Amino acid sequence: MRRLFSRRNVVAAGLVFFAVLPFVANPYVIFIGNLALMYILLSVGLNMLLGYAGQLAFAHAALFGVGAYTTGLLKLELDLHYGLALVAGVGLATVTGLAVAMPALRLRGLYLALATVAFAQATLWVFTHWNSVTYGGAGFRVPPLDFEPFTPRPDIGVYALTYVIVLASVPLGWNLLRSRVGRAWVAIRESEVAAESLGIDITRYKAIAYVVSAMYAGTAGGLFAGMLGIVTPESFDLFQVIVHFCMVIVGGLGSIWGGVIGAVGLVGLQEVLRAFRHLQEIAFGGLILFTVLVIPGGAVSLLKRYLPGWKEPLRRTEHDE
Amino acid sequence: MFAYLIASGISTGALYAMVAIGLVLVYRSTGHINFSHGELFMFGGFIAYTFFVILGMPYFVSLAVAVIGGFLLGVLCDRTVYRPLIKAPALTMVLATVGFSFLIKGVARFFWGAREGGDYVAFPAAVDPAPIPIGGIMVFPQQLLVLGGAFFFVVVFTIFFRRTRWGKMMQATAENATAAFLSGIRVERVYTMTWGTGACIASAAAVLMAPLTLLSPDVGFNLLLRAFAATVLGGLGSMPGAIIGGFLVGIIESLAGGYLHTGLQEVSAFIIIIVVLVFRPSGLFGIHKLRET
Repeated sequence: MRRLFSRRNVVAAGLVFFAVLPFVANPYVIFIGNLALMYILLSVGLNMLLGYAGQLAFAHAALFGVGAYTTGLLKLELDLHYGLALVAGVGLATVTGLAVAMPALRLRGLYLALATVAFAQATLWVFTHWNSVTYGGAGFRVPPLDFEPFTPRPDIGVYALTYVIVLASVPLGWNLLRSRVGRAWVAIRESEVAAESLGIDITRYKAIAYVVSAMYAGTAGGLFAGMLGIVTPESFDLFQVIVHFCMVIVGGLGSIWGGVIGAVGLVGLQEVLRAFRHLQEIAFGGLILFTVLVIPGGAVSLLKRYLPGWKEPLRRTEHDE
Repeated sequence: MFAYLIASGISTGALYAMVAIGLVLVYRSTGHINFSHGELFMFGGFIAYTFFVILGMPYFVSLAVAVIGGFLLGVLCDRTVYRPLIKAPALTMVLATVGFSFLIKGVARFFWGAREGGDYVAFPAAVDPAPIPIGGIMVFPQQLLVLGGAFFFVVVFTIFFRRTRWGKMMQATAENATAAFLSGIRVERVYTMTWGTGACIASAAAVLMAPLTLLSPDVGFNLLLRAFAATVLGGLGSMPGAIIGGFLVGIIESLAGGYLHTGLQEVSAFIIIIVVLVFRPSGLFGIHKLRET
């Protein structure tokens, strides 16, 4: 009976659920489903940097924003095809991620956290104040997308695109983590000195972590601009960082599937509390604190303990959790 | 213009220095940066607001209540966040304090935020708000009060830190916790005291600042970033560095806002953090310890 809830079955059920959703649900539910898929991308990317490589970087929401702004602005100002705009958004987010990585590679721990918090706030300031380009604090509307001849409805088009991208990039991340790169990240997280003495090029693998997670964030950002149709600075503020962190932490730091579970699980919470900012802050702040204090391994560690078929490579040993 | 900008930079800088002191105090003894420090500041301000504006108590009573309330909140932070995670890695601690900060922010917004016209509440000046001319420049009496108050608190704190038994115990613990423990200091109590003291200085700063700006549940994070900039500029872990850094950040901000572009006032603290960390991570007066281990 418990075998029924092994990871393979749960993931398969999730895939079927998200594939069927657009055919049966109303537009609002489709939008929520789309958000959930997008958050999966974000949390997989963030988990690589934070959970696997152990880099305490707050720049993720800013890169998410760069992806969204680039995609949205190219669509609005140049009327570029959405696909091209999305690719450009991912590209610029990745380049920005690399630009963050350059100085960040020299910093560790708290210094890295401080520098990236400052970077995130500076980016937000640019979004808010560079009026001639970003339309300032009020943001801008992205022109309606066109997915002809596949579907007449833009929301389903974005949904399908997000679904396909998730379908491609989650296994990509999963495989990357099981490769030499993922193992190098975990070694760096556990001890930089030990990793270096094993011949791991720390600088190179850290840079890869920043770039790959920036790619995920940029992709999610571009899709976000497309699905929401409006881009405003407040979608990328510090509270968003908390939401992203919360998803990864509650799901399970250092576990791809944990991040996926966290993303899907918390989208609903965010939607329910949408109108109540203070309750959102209490809920997400409290959840982070609760998880860190009570179940440091996140939800996925409970699944690992009680259900068969959830074991992952590169997991932390039991006494760490 | 220049004199005015310097004057206002000094008075805001004094507040940054006060917030930075608490941050450095906790950092020196625990090795962790309290990301919820800004929210402790904000909450202290709202406690004073409740007593001063809503209940109509005298200013100094409200200040005293806010300082005590801030202390208790600092102790709460120690008990709920720091103590259970004392052996956890730095990453976990940062995440926990970030979570705690949003929890407090949400609670503050629940009680005092989301009124009609936004989350901001006005905190009336404790002294006559009309500016008075001093040496040819117009100065707000509240600015003088801020400066005087900050000076007073820094002096009191320095005396506490240098001369009293508790202060010396804190210094000993910061220097070497194991040795302090072996010489009979109850290190855990000192930690509690440290978190409390840091938070009560921040609360005092919030009460002094509130009449100059407005109070909102979101002010905490801005102040935290200014205090980060001050500590980083002065050298993380250096107490005099944090105070001087606070004044410098205040003045730089004021000058950048006045001469270059008004928007730069907000962003200059972030630029200071990034530039200092990238080019001179040990800060202006820092101990030469480039990396956290």
